[in-house]
Amino acid sequence: MNWISSRPKILLMLAPAFILFTLFMTYPVGYSLAFSLTKFQGFGTPRWTGLDNYARILTDQFFWQALVNTAIILVVSLAVLIPGSFALALLLQRKIAGSGALKALVFGPAIIAPILVGLIWVFILDPKIGLLNRALAGLGVPAVTWIGGNTLTPYSVAIVFIWSSIGFAMTIFYAGLQTLPSDVMEASALDGATGWQQVRHVTIPMLRATFAIVTILLITNVFKIFELVYVLTGGGPVHRSETLVSYMYYVTFTNQQYGYGMALAVIITVLGALVSAGYLMLSSRKGDRR
Amino acid sequence: MRSLILRRPLKQLLAAVALTTSTALALSACAAPSTPSGSAPASAGAKTEITLSMQNPDVKTADPATWAIVQAFEAANPDVTVTVSGEAVAEHLQKLSIAAQSDTLPDIFWVYKANAEEMLQAGKLLDLKPVLDELGITSELPTSTVENFTSDGKIYGVPYQELLTGLWVNKKILTDNGLQMPTTFDDLVNVAKTLHAKGITTISNGANQSAFSVWSFLVWLDRFGYEDKLSGLLDGSISYNNADFQRMYEHIAQLRDAGAFSSNVSTQTYQQAVSQFTNGKAAMLDAGVWASSAIQESKVAPNIGFWQGAQFSDGVGNQNIIMDVASAPLVVSAKSGADPTKLAAIKKFLAFYYGEKGQQILVDNGQPPVTNYQATVDETTQSVLKVALEAASAEGVSSPKSQPDLLVSTQVANAMYDSIYGVIQNQLEPKAALDLVQKALDENR
Repeated sequence: MNWISSRPKILLMLAPAFILFTLFMTYPVGYSLAFSLTKFQGFGTPRWTGLDNYARILTDQFFWQALVNTAIILVVSLAVLIPGSFALALLLQRKIAGSGALKALVFGPAIIAPILVGLIWVFILDPKIGLLNRALAGLGVPAVTWIGGNTLTPYSVAIVFIWSSIGFAMTIFYAGLQTLPSDVMEASALDGATGWQQVRHVTIPMLRATFAIVTILLITNVFKIFELVYVLTGGGPVHRSETLVSYMYYVTFTNQQYGYGMALAVIITVLGALVSAGYLMLSSRKGDRR
Repeated sequence: MRSLILRRPLKQLLAAVALTTSTALALSACAAPSTPSGSAPASAGAKTEITLSMQNPDVKTADPATWAIVQAFEAANPDVTVTVSGEAVAEHLQKLSIAAQSDTLPDIFWVYKANAEEMLQAGKLLDLKPVLDELGITSELPTSTVENFTSDGKIYGVPYQELLTGLWVNKKILTDNGLQMPTTFDDLVNVAKTLHAKGITTISNGANQSAFSVWSFLVWLDRFGYEDKLSGLLDGSISYNNADFQRMYEHIAQLRDAGAFSSNVSTQTYQQAVSQFTNGKAAMLDAGVWASSAIQESKVAPNIGFWQGAQFSDGVGNQNIIMDVASAPLVVSAKSGADPTKLAAIKKFLAFYYGEKGQQILVDNGQPPVTNYQATVDETTQSVLKVALEAASAEGVSSPKSQPDLLVSTQVANAMYDSIYGVIQNQLEPKAALDLVQKALDENR
């Protein structure tokens, strides 16, 4: 054990991870931070502008629209995806015929690349050529602007996101359910707890850590939504359906405003971290009270 | 005991190092630049390689004219290899930005005019004037093109292709519905109202991932005095939100209200807009000559017309104009120009591209020539292109010096596209659309 416990050897073994982390994480983050304080359009020399880019965010109507859209997607996803995936996991835990095939079907969308998910759904949701409006037309319902309008697009994106993510979240819950000790469940049953009471007072409290993981993953994934919006609407009309990341991409690469784009990236990172940290604090307080 | 502990991990460590090294070597071999399809690998010392970086992810398919020129050039110049690469516009510009900072720019590349001028100021581009003069190309290019790509007495670029834009018209749809080819804006509104009543799209556009596809409306800007206002717009002495442009944007709203556009213009891509037109489901397509090949291959080809766009009784200046200008330039990196061997190969390439053979290849692939070359157009296989070329050379028609979006920064150009599509999609009132562009102009000053 002496061989690996000496300080130089520990440092030597930590070095590859440290170097890689610095190269691929710390350096780009620092680089972005530095560029966020400049005006730089990709060519020529960056011009130092201090906090101007951050001040500009306050008056950028498209940024606020993107923030509202991201918040809508987050709230809808949290409200539907967490209970939905948990319920699916409970259902599939039961020994029912065809549960294996059902698991594969539910998980299927999670392995499709987001860009393809977007392509599939654009043919369903397009207001003119989409399957959904064609089906509704058959029932005499007038065409609905599911995507491409200025109201329903974020909700449609949320639904597509839920469709593509529910299998993954369900799998995490399913794995969590497998770790629950059977004696606790049996004891609660002997005490006369109904199925719902078992779920509410035994299963959910014991899966608190799993709920936290799924929620944090959901929050970070919502903050990363890009391809779905890019394919479904391209952020339009006139940026009405942008999410934070798709708008940041537009500003940085389409508009070639690298400095302002990096300021947006910094703000998005901070927002994502704050929402996740906020959730963790809330859930840990709740846990402490119990 | 100690020696045992030492020996086994050491062995494992050495094995791990060996494995890592071999993997890294294998990966680096995989990552070595590959020879693009169609280009022969350069044998050491025998060939000079020049790199050509374009704004299309698949140059062979998406830009057959450039691909054909490269192939013909390589066949005629076996001592030079042209390595062609390409990405979508945003990725291409991002790549160039990184390359400019690391001084690894390609030898020849496509770039926006505004970016090219920044790069020229930073000393990254070669002054092509001596080269073009020596090759006799300067005198073959239209004067407006040379002026457009000149800054501080230096010519920094040559036109990649000609930008001949307008509205392709399916004349059969018009005649089937008792309509005439429109001339004025009022005629166009009348066409839109009639066709909308019958469920037919008048102008096929697609905003999704192609917000730039508003070519015919950019000509409108010139019909409301854009060229005369440009310097004032850039220095802040004239607002984009002026009475002339206000009238123009109100006309876009009128056209929208007449039902001229497809109901899914927001979610439709440019390619889908082209399909809508070539499938006979729209009377007009907002595009340019680059769409001629797709139209030629479609069932609507026999009925095709090319319209310069609506003329306005309340417009400013000459209304009988058509957008027939140089597109964004091809430029040469200063570093490549400093290498005599590379420079000689680049000269050969430019001489071929802007010579008679290169220009005829452009025409053969559905593009008008960018020089004064009198092209031969096959009336049977290129009937669609011929219609557009005839419209451009019609009696009394003139062209602006450049397309409006090519004279401003990328941010302002994007704001222009957003403002036009914003009104088309009923997301912005004309005044809000004008303010959007003015804001971008202010931020760029």
